[in-house]
Amino acid sequence: MNVSKGWVLGAWFAFLLACVVVVVRTDFTADLSAFLPRSPTPAQEILVEQLRSGAVSRLILVGIEGGATDALAEVSKRLAASLRRQELFALIANGEDAVSDMDRDFLWRNRYLLSPAVTPGRYSVQALRERLEANLHLLGSPVGMFVRRVLPNDPTGEFMALVERLQGASRPAMQHGVWFSRDGQRALLIAQTRAAGGDIDAQQRALAVIRGAFAEAAGDRTASLLVSGPGVFSVHSRERIKNDAWRFALIATALVAGLLLALYRSPRVLGLGLLPVASGALAGVAAVSLGFGAVHGITLGFGVTLLGEGVDYAIYLFTQSTPATAPHRTLERIWPTLRLGVLTSICGFSAMLLSDFTGLAQLGLFSISGLIVAVIVTRAVLPVLLPPGFSTPAADAFGPGVVSLARRAPLLRLPLLAIVALAAVYLTLRGGSLWSDDLARLSPVPARDQLLDQQLRRDVGAPDVRYVVVADSKEEQDALEASENLSAALERSVRQGWLEGYESPSSFLPSVRTQRARQAALPAAETLRENLHQALSGLPFRPNLFDPFLKDVAAAKEVPPLDRASLEGTGLAMRLDSLLVKRANSWTAMLPLRGVSDTGGVTREIGAVREGHVALLDVKRESNALYHTYRREALAYSLLGAGAIVVLLFASLRSPRRVFDVLAPLAAAVIVVTAVLVASGQELSIFHLVGLLLVVAVGSNYSLFFDRQMPSVQDRQRTVVSLLFANMSTIIGFGVLSFSEVPVLNAIGTTVGLGAIMALVFAAILSRREEVG
Amino acid sequence: MTCGNRLALHHLLAVLLVAAAGAGAFASPVTARPESWGVEQLMRSLGQVKSARGRFVERKHLAILDAPLELSGTLVYTAPGRLEKHTLRPKEESLVLERDTLTVSTGGQRRTLVLQDYPVVWAFVESIRSTLAGDLQTLNRFYEVALEGTEAQWHLLLKPSAPKMQSVVSEIRIGGSRNWISTIEILETEGDRSVMTVSRDAS
Repeated sequence: MNVSKGWVLGAWFAFLLACVVVVVRTDFTADLSAFLPRSPTPAQEILVEQLRSGAVSRLILVGIEGGATDALAEVSKRLAASLRRQELFALIANGEDAVSDMDRDFLWRNRYLLSPAVTPGRYSVQALRERLEANLHLLGSPVGMFVRRVLPNDPTGEFMALVERLQGASRPAMQHGVWFSRDGQRALLIAQTRAAGGDIDAQQRALAVIRGAFAEAAGDRTASLLVSGPGVFSVHSRERIKNDAWRFALIATALVAGLLLALYRSPRVLGLGLLPVASGALAGVAAVSLGFGAVHGITLGFGVTLLGEGVDYAIYLFTQSTPATAPHRTLERIWPTLRLGVLTSICGFSAMLLSDFTGLAQLGLFSISGLIVAVIVTRAVLPVLLPPGFSTPAADAFGPGVVSLARRAPLLRLPLLAIVALAAVYLTLRGGSLWSDDLARLSPVPARDQLLDQQLRRDVGAPDVRYVVVADSKEEQDALEASENLSAALERSVRQGWLEGYESPSSFLPSVRTQRARQAALPAAETLRENLHQALSGLPFRPNLFDPFLKDVAAAKEVPPLDRASLEGTGLAMRLDSLLVKRANSWTAMLPLRGVSDTGGVTREIGAVREGHVALLDVKRESNALYHTYRREALAYSLLGAGAIVVLLFASLRSPRRVFDVLAPLAAAVIVVTAVLVASGQELSIFHLVGLLLVVAVGSNYSLFFDRQMPSVQDRQRTVVSLLFANMSTIIGFGVLSFSEVPVLNAIGTTVGLGAIMALVFAAILSRREEVG
Repeated sequence: MTCGNRLALHHLLAVLLVAAAGAGAFASPVTARPESWGVEQLMRSLGQVKSARGRFVERKHLAILDAPLELSGTLVYTAPGRLEKHTLRPKEESLVLERDTLTVSTGGQRRTLVLQDYPVVWAFVESIRSTLAGDLQTLNRFYEVALEGTEAQWHLLLKPSAPKMQSVVSEIRIGGSRNWISTIEILETEGDRSVMTVSRDAS
């Protein structure tokens, strides 16, 4: 006995140690894209990539408010200067210099390759004459000074056209030389991190640097800092989920511990009661870490919910033990029922394991491995550690009362039937979908933060990135050519008034074919000299003024075409990289649209473009569609899980009638909980579905125990009391979660908390087992 | 090759304001007769002008041209801050300065700028507007102000104090007699020069 005891404990310790080793090395993430699928359509794949690591994901919007305008502007300038020295950021913009000197220099040197105006007719005598006369007029006008400086090199005005296009149509308002919101209350700054938005550690560092730099820049001025953006959201969400998970885990543990202490009046038993759960949670985290490489914060938060079911096993054992029987005897007696309960739960959770939702699959794996370990610890370790002759007074104290309640419960059958019927009718007649397909509802970002984000986005004039035209091609050059053709189509759409504007990778890097065509359009040196000579006759320009122009054109005709490397070091390179992305087997050009008013028109125009695989992506619709697919899939898996439970019950109980008895309370609970949730105004998400699955998994234990044949009244009493205690711990575990503001935790907590009570009460009401003795 | 890359848009818009600024302050019968005459007295007498009209001729001497460019048209000032410059030759163009906005119209195109967005432009605007309005305080904010000559023939010399402005313009000279501005001369850092003369509008 002692030897085998030693082996059991030794094996258990070794297992826990191994788990700890794994857990210590685990990465914890809160990447929201874990709640995006793994195998979507190509367009959705691009979307998910963009959300995870695209330029959009790397944007941090900064607002500085709460002071006098000139003070805010000063803080903005100091902050920008300090952030520009940081390696973390690829771009810092606050309006001080919309186009940097390096960008200007690049545009200036390569104007003949970059300007769309470079076409064969542009250098004829007549065209040159027109440009020269226009320039003469400009010299007398407001822009004269600027024209004067560039005129000798660029009489056709390519450079100015490029700068104007780059500065874009929508720019924030300016005050004291920096960007401000329209109402002048807030100075604005944009930071783009080098690291992906999904790299939360890097985002957190960037955020800390911004905060530090702001404190320094503000000095003793009164000003407050606002930050927003996908990375900021990820960082805050991780914090919030971590906080909630820990806080609620601690609160629930304390409450459950209090309950156990009150029931069993023994710190030792309390400690033993928590052992299976603690071991299970540890094993669950370790299993997820091994299976997925990282553990999502939400999975961790789910540890609390495991408490709900895991503690039950110990409670069944403790409460049903009597002084006369050794703990392992009690276990042998309840084991078949307990085992079936665990298997039922595992069937339920397997459904989640199959999900494409990485987050859900993690929850599934976590729960399954956690429950298996918890039940094994209950079976093998607890009897070894329980004092001999252990019994709880609680069972005897509560027993008679609880049992008499349970005995009278079946009187409520008719009212229950009426309630279930009512709920079912309500759900059927209510019409419309029960489910919300708005992904935003799942976002752990509080509404006020989302509002701030929208405000800053509007102030800055950042694209809302709802519509993006995407072209996928095998080669980089094909993608660039596709984006040139798309630009032409979008240009036509702008003229039609279907959209306000767009960005295209080909503005920063034209395809080699186009660059060659522009070079070919530039006339030979002699021709140009002769044309210019004729065009200048009678105009007051100084002789030889335009020699630099002749030289620049001759040089531009000969230079090798630009490629990505030519842009290195400029701000343009970063903008190009955000619009032209190299993927595993292809190149994707992205053209974000601004102010779209007619998607149909735009779709028709871009439909004519043949290069590559072209699509207009509606990000909001795609992500919601994505989620819709997901939810349908989760529903299918849940039904599959439910089917597996039925099969399992048939195989174990071998009686349709008993299977019905076990399932009826669960079905009733699911229907009524759903109706209550819907009636209280909740739109059901995928997480409510998971909650319902848990109701079935946890509730099946109750009805299985109710269904079990009892040898004596005492046994009956102990069983019913153990169910009540188990139920209380479940309600505590999940009920606490329903106070979380994180939608995932809240949805699961509310659903399971409600469902667990109902499952127990309904099981008592519907129980057909007559008391023995 | 050195050009272009250092120019921000507001530099070029600055020039536009030089032009806009070339407005005269025009006739008024009121003439102050103080004990001793100086900047403050000049400003006070200019400030009493409520409205004025004039014709201008502007000559731009540019290094890149063989001959100066000549523009002409009308100027209209209404106290305290509205100034219109209508160029009629060689091509029509109008600039309207009102409070803190400047509207430029050429050949059917119209563009409005908010002065606060363009500090250099703002400095230009104030060189003329503050002079017209007799607002010495504002003038001192943007320029070192010096006065030469007598009440009958004076020259106000404005040297920009902000570095950005200094890189564009070295000096603005406003000449006049009593409360009438008759010449505005702008000397640019790169040697180009523009001179505007304003005459009373007979109409």
